[in-house]
Amino acid sequence: MLIDLFVFFPFRFDFVAPSTFFEESKPWMDKLRVLQKLATEPGSSARIFKAIADPPTTSLQRLKGLTTGGLPTFVDVGNSFGAPAIVEDNFIHQLVQNRKQVVMMGDDTWTQLFPNHFSKSYPYPSFNVKDLHTVDNGCTDHLIPTLYEEDWDVLIAHFLGVDHAGHIFGVDSGQMVEKLEQYNGILEKVIEVLESQSGPGGIHDNTFLLVMGDHGQTLNGDHGGGSPEEVETSIFAMSFKEPSLSISSQFDTLSCKNDLDGKKLCINSIQQLDFAVTLSALLGIPFPFGSIGHVDAALYALGAGTLDLEGTKRENCQNRSILEQWMQSYANVLCINSWQVKRYIDVYSASSLIGFSYEDLMQIAEVYAQAEESWSNGTKTLLLSKNECSNPSLSALKAQIDLFVHFLTSVADLARSKWTEFNLRMMGIGFSIMLVSLLVHFLAIKRVAKQYGASFTMPGDSGISFGLIIACFVVVIRASSFLSNSYILEEGKVASFLLATTGIVKLRHSISRKKMLLEAVVFLLLISFCRFGIEIGLSKQAVTSQFLKAYPSWMISIFSQLPAWMYLTEVLPMLVLILLAYLLYKTISSSCFEGIWKCVILGTILSYMLMAVHWALESKLWSLALVSYGIGRNYIPRVIYAIGFGQLLLLGLVQLFNKDKCDCKNNLVMKTVGLLSAWSSIVILLSGNQGPLVALASIVGGYCITRLGNIDQDAKEGVGDVLAVDPLAVTQWNLLAVCLFFCTGHWCAFDGLRYGAAFIGFDEFVLIRQAILLAIDTFGFSHILPIFALPFLVARQYIQSQRKFILMRLSQVFMIYGLVTTVTVTVTMLCVTIHRRHLMVWGLFAPKFVFDVVGLILTDALICLASFFCFGQVEDDVPQIRK
Amino acid sequence: MKTNIATSSVKSSAEPETKLHVSAHSISVLEALVFHLIFGLVLGLAVLLAHKFYSINLVSHPSLTLRLIWFFLRVFQVIECPIVILLYSRYRKNREECSYLKAVGRGLLGLPVGRALNRGQTHGSNAENYVIQTVACLPFCYGMRGSKNTHVSKSFLEKLQRALVNALGAVALGAPVGTQYFSKTVNWSLMMSLFTIVPAAAVFGSSWKDWLRIFAHTKPMESVDFMICLPAHGAIIGAWFGAWPMPLDWERPWQEWPTCVSYGAMAGYLLALVASFSFVQAHARFQHVKRD
Repeated sequence: MLIDLFVFFPFRFDFVAPSTFFEESKPWMDKLRVLQKLATEPGSSARIFKAIADPPTTSLQRLKGLTTGGLPTFVDVGNSFGAPAIVEDNFIHQLVQNRKQVVMMGDDTWTQLFPNHFSKSYPYPSFNVKDLHTVDNGCTDHLIPTLYEEDWDVLIAHFLGVDHAGHIFGVDSGQMVEKLEQYNGILEKVIEVLESQSGPGGIHDNTFLLVMGDHGQTLNGDHGGGSPEEVETSIFAMSFKEPSLSISSQFDTLSCKNDLDGKKLCINSIQQLDFAVTLSALLGIPFPFGSIGHVDAALYALGAGTLDLEGTKRENCQNRSILEQWMQSYANVLCINSWQVKRYIDVYSASSLIGFSYEDLMQIAEVYAQAEESWSNGTKTLLLSKNECSNPSLSALKAQIDLFVHFLTSVADLARSKWTEFNLRMMGIGFSIMLVSLLVHFLAIKRVAKQYGASFTMPGDSGISFGLIIACFVVVIRASSFLSNSYILEEGKVASFLLATTGIVKLRHSISRKKMLLEAVVFLLLISFCRFGIEIGLSKQAVTSQFLKAYPSWMISIFSQLPAWMYLTEVLPMLVLILLAYLLYKTISSSCFEGIWKCVILGTILSYMLMAVHWALESKLWSLALVSYGIGRNYIPRVIYAIGFGQLLLLGLVQLFNKDKCDCKNNLVMKTVGLLSAWSSIVILLSGNQGPLVALASIVGGYCITRLGNIDQDAKEGVGDVLAVDPLAVTQWNLLAVCLFFCTGHWCAFDGLRYGAAFIGFDEFVLIRQAILLAIDTFGFSHILPIFALPFLVARQYIQSQRKFILMRLSQVFMIYGLVTTVTVTVTMLCVTIHRRHLMVWGLFAPKFVFDVVGLILTDALICLASFFCFGQVEDDVPQIRK
Repeated sequence: MKTNIATSSVKSSAEPETKLHVSAHSISVLEALVFHLIFGLVLGLAVLLAHKFYSINLVSHPSLTLRLIWFFLRVFQVIECPIVILLYSRYRKNREECSYLKAVGRGLLGLPVGRALNRGQTHGSNAENYVIQTVACLPFCYGMRGSKNTHVSKSFLEKLQRALVNALGAVALGAPVGTQYFSKTVNWSLMMSLFTIVPAAAVFGSSWKDWLRIFAHTKPMESVDFMICLPAHGAIIGAWFGAWPMPLDWERPWQEWPTCVSYGAMAGYLLALVASFSFVQAHARFQHVKRD
């Protein structure tokens, strides 16, 4: 009987490898001492491997890669939340086909990937990242008893605690160290049980233990990208048979160092791609059809002690060394492996439209033919030697193995470089759609301007203003900056740089007009503050990013040491929240707000108060309150969500059934304030402590932009402009929104999502609900609020004019905003198309592309919503051109 | 202080603006050429000197080199500005009695006064103290020129603010902030203020109207205006473009703050000098034609 056992952890390479392998020792290192001890024990058949995964390093992709032996495709990341079953041929499927009983416990992704494969399974929900213990405790409860049972062949236990501890607390945290120590205990127990049963006749006499990670994680505990920290994980392999051979080190890529006790420990490197096929070889089942890995020598040698030496041992050939036998069996396996890979490549290139190029295929075929020829010659000699019991020379076998390995690695390299298929035609179509949409935007803006201008401008004006030129320049230069990966990395800084430039232009303008100096200066100061916020965000990103240099974040280092800083960070948001509530109160008490709008805004004020109470109870400063608050923690956020939802519903109903009668401008202001206040409570709650500050900053910024945008309005009544609105103001609005995106600690990568926000108010994971919350958190300050606030740009203008012109201007503002967004996204698309073979394509360009496109779709949808909301039923003829 | 630029600006604000300029004459083309050459050569000389004799450049020692450059510029401008003032007052104002020697004396006097003001500061490193002193005395020595003695302290504050404008602008645009960048930023902003504010301060003093005309409206009227307005704008725009290579991942030492920004500013300044010279020439020809 042949029994295998894996234990999966999501863990970094330095969790397992001794700290002597690294430059400096960190608290999380050397915690899994039992593995190190076994690996260094002389005569043990335990080894530590450094496994290198292929990005993207999300759990689902890695599990897929591990079991199928293929390369994951990027689109699969999207499916990471809600995994569909694997349809490709895979290792688990082969196990089941060969009547092996597979038992699974832990992460429920496995049961989603393999719905009908397990004879027994104990799945636990995997997405509640706040929960460190459910999965692990469940695994531990079932693992040890199962070890004493005999009705399984393969056991998979997938622990998740380390992953979750990393996501929530980071790698350098007490919880992480605790988790690792707990694992050490579990592993000790498992190994003890296995060893006690591993004697001849015991149920584990043939057991092979694998402890492995599916991916690594960054110091922040995130994963998904392709940085060394994320792709490097480890495999600990142990056979409980006495080691019967030590394979020659010529196959290994070894790095040896002394561990803490001074014992020598060697660590091999292995590609995760090779895992499925190696294990298949060890278990003696067919290789998965789509695998392109090769059987790894070191791992195979470990298992060989338990495997087929008895089978190949010939009685009449006593003098053949064990090493030679092993090498021959390895060569046999590689022969089958090469045949399987060649078959797959042939089938693939026959069925794929844009497969490998002809030259590449020819080259591979040549390498294969060479290996095959040498093999058939070798086999002949071997067959002869079997009869005559004379040894084929070791070097001949070695050369044969090298040939096969050469073929297999060249296929894997080729596949890695060319795997991703790009459908250039679809790309071209998408790009032309964007161009058409740009053109439509442009024409529509012109048309509205013409209608507007016909009644407003005096003839003979040149019409192109300085503001328009600056706005175009800024948009174009920002868009073209996306052509370089460096500027994409520093996008936040670039945006704030451009925003500050426009701020300086405005300041100059306001000095020359001798008006609104204060607003211009305040705006510049605000940008300076934003800039520091963006830098803090970038320093967070730099920790996880392989591309960014980590700048010393001097501000954090200075302030975090002060005790007053603690109080400030806790108390300041509440004070600002109260200030916001007061501002709202002032708004409704001052102007002609009708009953229902008053109701909405009072609801928001109530939400703010609840939020302040919620934060006060959650904060660590008043530890007394925490005791009584443990249970009802989720109620206040839920009430706030409910209020926000109710407000939005109310506003929608009012819009549907109520004809607006009061004068247009006030009506517009009222609607906008109502809508914004309804959204703001949810967005602020999700953003956490920084929420109120950012909200205040955006209010001040918006106010300054609006005021500065109207600087010329009263000077020359009836503007002689091409556009009815100040395009520079709209551009600034857009740049401010981009700055806020980065200020709130986001960046355009999957590890830039703030997963914690999805669990405010909820403990368990429901896909749609949590996805909505995460989306609101990600795009709240950068898309939802700025777009719904756009009517302010129009409503605050001084000209008293009829309804028609205000709405015309409003539609123009919306369209200019859409145009600015579309221009940047178009250039991003162009950039991704150009750089599709770039080294950083999956690490940098693709996430940026996904974020931008989602942002664009959201922008257009929100603009549609906002215009429906603002225009009401009367204005149906306003051009609605959204892609 | 006897220069009555302050009073003349009061006067000029009362008078219609055109009258002020009708009486004005532009400096000759030859004089302009000499000035432009001096400005350009001094800048080149400073960079060359730093490289040859001190074997430092902007890449290896940005702070030191910048200090050297602005020091050179300042020394020459201390000498030059009175000339400009002389010319300016000779042609424009009614024969100013601010003589060449007096002006030079005042410019040089500014240094000890500024040092005396900063004597109180005992803490801080030697180099930074030096920088603070020079920050204080630099606007001061020019600030004296435009105003009466009684207004010295007020004007001093005013000019200090103007000198800080560059630094604040740089910070708003994203210049790194921190102790290790402090001296670089200060030196850079001093150099920028020599390109932009100091010439204007030397010529216009505290005439807010002229400042507005040059920097807010960008409406240079005369040759001297061109000589102030164009290089100043050139330096600022050059510095703005100079910041663009900074995020690129070329890993070159000159991408650090403030090296490439300084290069950009200098390049912009030199280009604008050429432009301003041609403008002055064209202006002179235009005036000539008009007079005929």
